[in-house]
Amino acid sequence: MKLDPVDYAVISQALLAAAREMGTKLVRSAFSNIVREARDASCAILDAAGNIVAQAEMVPMQLGSMNTTLRACLDLYPAHTLCADDFLVNNHPFQGGQHLQDVFIFRPVVIDGRVIAFSGSTAHHLDLGGGSAGLNVAATDVYQEGLILPPMKFSLSRDWNGGIFERLVAANIRVPDQTLGDFNAQFASVAIGIERVGQLCRKYGTQAVEAAMAEFIDYSERRLREAIRAIPDGIYHGSDAGDDIERKGEPLWIHAKLTVSGDTIEIDFEGTCDQVARNINSPIASTQSAVMSCIKGALLGDDVPFNEGSFRPVTVKVPFGSILNPRPPAPVRARMLPCYRAWGAVMKALAKALPERAIAPGFDNTLVTCLAYQSSSGRYRVCLETFGGGFGASVGQDGADAVAAPLSNTTNSPVEAIDMNFDYFRIVEYGLNAESCGLGKYRGGLGIRRTYLILQDGVDFSLYGDRFEIAPDGLAGGSGGTTCRAELIRDGQAIEVDLKQGKRLMKGDRVVIRTSGGAGFGNPRDRNSDLIERDIDQGYIKAAVAAVTYR
Amino acid sequence: MRVGIEVGGTFTDLIALDDGDKVIVAKVPSVPGRPDDGAFAALAAARIAIDQITDLVHGSTIATNAVLERKGALTALITTEGFGDILLIQRQDRERVFQLAYRKPDAVIERRDVIEVGERILANGAVETALDIERSAAQILDALRKRPYEAVAICLLNAYANPAHEQAIAQRIRDALPTLHVSCSHEISREFREYERASTTALSAYVQPIIDRYLSRFEERLAREGFRGRFSFMQSNGGRLSAKAIRNNSITALFSGPAAGVAGAIRQVAPSGYSNLITFDMGGTSTDVCLVTQGQPVVAPETRIDGLPIRTPVLDIATVGAGGGSIVWQDSGGMLRVGPQSAGASPGPACYGRGGQAPTLTDAHLIRGTIRADAFLGGRMKLDETAARRAFEPLASALGLSVQEVADSTVRLADANVVRAIQLISTELGRDPRDYVLVPFGGAGPLQAGRIAEDLGIDRIVVPQNAGVLSAFGLLAADYTVYETATRRIPLTESTPGEVRDTLKRMRDSLRKRLQEAGLCGVTRHAYVLQMRYVGQAFEVEVPLDDDDLSHLSVSWLAERFAEANQRLYMHGGGAGLAGRNIEFVGFRASAAVPENCGALPPSEVEAPRETTTRMIRENRSMRECTVLTRTVIRSRGDSAGPLLVEDDLATVFVPSGWYASEDSAGNLILQRDKTS
Repeated sequence: MKLDPVDYAVISQALLAAAREMGTKLVRSAFSNIVREARDASCAILDAAGNIVAQAEMVPMQLGSMNTTLRACLDLYPAHTLCADDFLVNNHPFQGGQHLQDVFIFRPVVIDGRVIAFSGSTAHHLDLGGGSAGLNVAATDVYQEGLILPPMKFSLSRDWNGGIFERLVAANIRVPDQTLGDFNAQFASVAIGIERVGQLCRKYGTQAVEAAMAEFIDYSERRLREAIRAIPDGIYHGSDAGDDIERKGEPLWIHAKLTVSGDTIEIDFEGTCDQVARNINSPIASTQSAVMSCIKGALLGDDVPFNEGSFRPVTVKVPFGSILNPRPPAPVRARMLPCYRAWGAVMKALAKALPERAIAPGFDNTLVTCLAYQSSSGRYRVCLETFGGGFGASVGQDGADAVAAPLSNTTNSPVEAIDMNFDYFRIVEYGLNAESCGLGKYRGGLGIRRTYLILQDGVDFSLYGDRFEIAPDGLAGGSGGTTCRAELIRDGQAIEVDLKQGKRLMKGDRVVIRTSGGAGFGNPRDRNSDLIERDIDQGYIKAAVAAVTYR
Repeated sequence: MRVGIEVGGTFTDLIALDDGDKVIVAKVPSVPGRPDDGAFAALAAARIAIDQITDLVHGSTIATNAVLERKGALTALITTEGFGDILLIQRQDRERVFQLAYRKPDAVIERRDVIEVGERILANGAVETALDIERSAAQILDALRKRPYEAVAICLLNAYANPAHEQAIAQRIRDALPTLHVSCSHEISREFREYERASTTALSAYVQPIIDRYLSRFEERLAREGFRGRFSFMQSNGGRLSAKAIRNNSITALFSGPAAGVAGAIRQVAPSGYSNLITFDMGGTSTDVCLVTQGQPVVAPETRIDGLPIRTPVLDIATVGAGGGSIVWQDSGGMLRVGPQSAGASPGPACYGRGGQAPTLTDAHLIRGTIRADAFLGGRMKLDETAARRAFEPLASALGLSVQEVADSTVRLADANVVRAIQLISTELGRDPRDYVLVPFGGAGPLQAGRIAEDLGIDRIVVPQNAGVLSAFGLLAADYTVYETATRRIPLTESTPGEVRDTLKRMRDSLRKRLQEAGLCGVTRHAYVLQMRYVGQAFEVEVPLDDDDLSHLSVSWLAERFAEANQRLYMHGGGAGLAGRNIEFVGFRASAAVPENCGALPPSEVEAPRETTTRMIRENRSMRECTVLTRTVIRSRGDSAGPLLVEDDLATVFVPSGWYASEDSAGNLILQRDKTS
């Protein structure tokens, strides 16, 4: 069908608007702090073949898995066999998914008896069962991480709202009020997507909408191919390393070989370290998401929609059994950690190809804390928080201070919201982690400090994160940022928190989290003296350090 | 004599009404950085004797510009120990998700200007760590004397629940440093979420000295010329407030311009019998749209300026970068785009002949034939069609289309941008645009309204007369309004209706007091909003109430209203999964308005007669013969079938085919769609 260019522009923008509306409403009607305050959720409209057309750009990491999770469902339940009341669900890390907590839900858009699109959403669920409430850092396989929902088809009217699927989920989780509430928010957002696509079909005709979806995907592909053509052909290498948390004597190395040829990019992770026994393994879909987010960020920024077309010019090869493509049933909860190192390796390779587009390494990390408490009545409560840190500096400006890392975009939970909802701990300090940035012509962004005061005996604290041993390294002559730290202060004694296992806390304990500042870019001697003075004046860096570095 | 003066970025508009039916209109260039000079120039141009003015209403971008240019007062922030970086950390997220060289919105208060005090109040208002006022006051005053501060913002954790510590600190500062402007978070925005409250308080403090100086200068100048009337200022919530009161509530002076347009539109179409409106104000660089239900514009609890949140009731106006000066371009993926870049007033569209080379929406209209080169602004400004065509040629050859086709596509794309903005404030909030009439104004609104209405399924358009000075008129038409908000968590149980009623009555009394202090009495209209949610949710659904509703509040009635609102917004209210969930109140909002008895403008003077002609235009993908006529002709002819171009001195109305135009007894142009076409 020949599509009028204006109709195309209108329909494609309306599909984007629909995805954004789904995302906003999912967050606003959700129940857990991780979705409603931190916005750890994403939404998309996909075509009948499971290709992403339009997404609400919320959490980049989740965006790249909308297609793989849906396709795993469609392999079992082809689109033409579905009816309007069906929903598909999948959270399986080894069948297109990420970690179990991200549950993907899809429903078909059925027009005149034919499936023409899918409306999908995902949200990070607070607790999906597993070895401990909220987060089981000690899991040695995926079964200990929670309830696995393989690609499945259910009937919304029959199986939710008191039906079998809802009861099965409810029976396996610790905080059903919040988790089921968040499932409901997902279902509601999916219903909005169906409604909006239906409205477009009624107005412009189903064929025009289908043609616009196809063209929108082609459009993103063209934009990316054009950006790739601007990179000189060649082979570029980048490596990054994660903390040696298993004490094997060397860091977790990720090696990326980036081959640019015409308008395509191939990324090969040959030589990357083997999978590990702990939860720091990344399912292949997560690895692909991380790589795509890096390429999109460096080459296109925000102007071009992130959809199926963005994937086409890029091939990602990952050795099976490596930390970026583990064998089942490896535990994968902290898959963001190797993902960030894959992101970093690709960014370093891109920095060689396109120095003006890349940024220096930053906090680039997911640092998650979990505070869980079971009251004497047996009721569980869980608070999950994700931390931001400093961005790396770039060729033309300082890195941003205290922001969510590049593969995420979660917000902080307001301290007053925590005061309102949790009585077993309190935030007593939340500020910039001064002096944490790397220096250079442009400095890195500052990290964050946040301190928890525990108010009850028996609060279970756990966290995961990277950069506790290896700090972000500087680019083009800039210096590196700092490492992250997590300290428990008990009876006036400070001890480093053991990342490998959860810790039972006592009333009066304090936990201080400090996140990395970003690395600097360029020679510090080229830094503008006004900027140096401002940094000292505002207390971002120490005068003594500046005197040495910038002399 | 009543006078409204609206100072915009490019022009200052004045409208004056005397006790009879006489309307004086003046338009003069604004003076950059000196909005008051523009205002007095407008008074001079209109030959108005200042001592004859009984009521002067002013709207100005002074506060907005102070923030956008970061030229507000040197301001300090006092906050709870451990949380001094609140304005810098913000909410930790990025506005542009994939941007690597990301820059956060700059806070209006720097880190070195933050003073932390030891104290902690909890969510229930209990004092966890008491404030040592003697020690803190000494430390604060010492810090405040170190730099030439003009203002101080105080925002302590959980002060919305218990303002005692903020009050104690404010008192000490006022006693010791009486010239300093002090803004407390519990007075500016008494709601939970510390960053949003602190940002609002900081912005309010930051613009307060600017507003204060500006109004003082304005009042002195008025006094010198013998002014004895009332002087009030427009607010972002759509109402006005006395200049005296606005000095203590400067945050409401932001974004007053778009709000004035809405107030003017409501008043101007009321005599035509319409109260459900979608106002559509399309100017040179952007378009503002607002939904008005039963004469009341929708109020949003929060807005943003330059990325910084402002938590205070404002008219829910959606803005898109689509206006007459919007630049048309093709992106690297081949997609045709309109805006948000604008050629502005200078150099302006290519057809202005002031050196603009880029094709704009105005150029597109000229090429299509929907603007006539010799009839723009009543013929006072000649347009250069050759220049417009030249500007469009590169795009046309890149797209493989004719210049006319690209021009037509441009207008349709601009329509689509506006349609999306309107969906944001209607469909996405569960309101059906078909239940509303479209009210276009501003230079370009009436040209685009027809096809936009069709896209939204709207069958009737009301083009107000004097559409070009509607914002200035809106100042005179605006009621006096004050708002109060409060965060207070109350579960919905048998005893709640009484508690809710008491809370709202207390807020009503406090509003009454504020109106009295501002010298206003008489009939007051009250409206209330309950902010409700299911226990466990973080965002509230708003349930509106009026005074009558207060007398019959019951648990089931409240629960039903909440479920309706939830279903409308989120398609989330009816599910069985939510049926058993507990409901709670989180916040309350109350407003009081003293209505201003201002009628609509009297019908405009009869324009100079112009010949009725026809011309060929390209519109909506085909060539059409279009009649060109004046409003006067429509007035005498009655129902006239489109396509028509109705030209007057300020704007051109385009009536597409399938629509009929007529003028009603109130002097407004009514466009009605023939549903059979």
